[in-house]
Amino acid sequence: MIAAAQSQDPAGIVAAMAAGDSGSALNAFYAQYASMVLALLMKMLGSRAEAEEILQEVFVELWKRAPQYDPARGNVVAWVITVARCRALDAIRARSRRYGNRQSEYSEGDALVTEGGRPDVLVSSTRWHQALRQAFQRLSAEQRAVLELSYFQGMSHGQIADTLGLPVGTVKSRILAGMRSMRTLLPVIHRAMRA
Amino acid sequence: MSEETERAELLAALHAAGAASEDDERELEALLEADPSLEQLVKDFEDSIAALASSFEPLETSPRTLGKIKKQIAQEKGGVLARLRAWFSKP
Repeated sequence: MIAAAQSQDPAGIVAAMAAGDSGSALNAFYAQYASMVLALLMKMLGSRAEAEEILQEVFVELWKRAPQYDPARGNVVAWVITVARCRALDAIRARSRRYGNRQSEYSEGDALVTEGGRPDVLVSSTRWHQALRQAFQRLSAEQRAVLELSYFQGMSHGQIADTLGLPVGTVKSRILAGMRSMRTLLPVIHRAMRA
Repeated sequence: MSEETERAELLAALHAAGAASEDDERELEALLEADPSLEQLVKDFEDSIAALASSFEPLETSPRTLGKIKKQIAQEKGGVLARLRAWFSKP
């Protein structure tokens, strides 16, 4: 059942969930995206237990929001990632309120390490992930650092400037340069998605 | 590239990267209203960063998690149906 549903178009699976299918459609959706979302949550939260807890919240929310998904506004992966990132940032902010702000503890080693080989892993590494990782290695360390803090830690450009001790203008320029580089990688990304 | 397009590109990049301030977001919204063709730029940036976020090595999930998700959805479905039933049974 799950294998059959996996071959469906992702937007079709979301449409089935929107129609109330919490059986085979949800199974297929979970099979396709859960391990990717868990990896993102682990990256952002650093705790397996917390990541598993948030993973549950993310999929319940995605199921509830399926009727609002609009393919014209972005692909399913982008939608899933957006919801997962928002929930992870909520958890990071809640943790900051409870235990104080750990954002100033940023070090270069935290930046977007996308290589494999972590001990707590892993579902098989697909061509998709390999192609993406190779593509993103083309970003400079400086670009990765600002994108790490903005996208994965939820910092504004002002907070990043404070954390890295850089002028706000430099932070903005690095973000723009990083995003421009990534945009040029879109054809590679699209090829990887089709692979 | 015009100064306005450069500004829009910067704001779109900050927005997609999650680093835009509220003022930046408002300014971007106004630029998008004035020139809807800029939406493709925003979408490209959003797709790029989503791809980056999806590029980490996938992790095996706990087999129990899907069960917990289904249980929660079933409860919520039951809750909605119960509220609808209560609403329709009002005199």
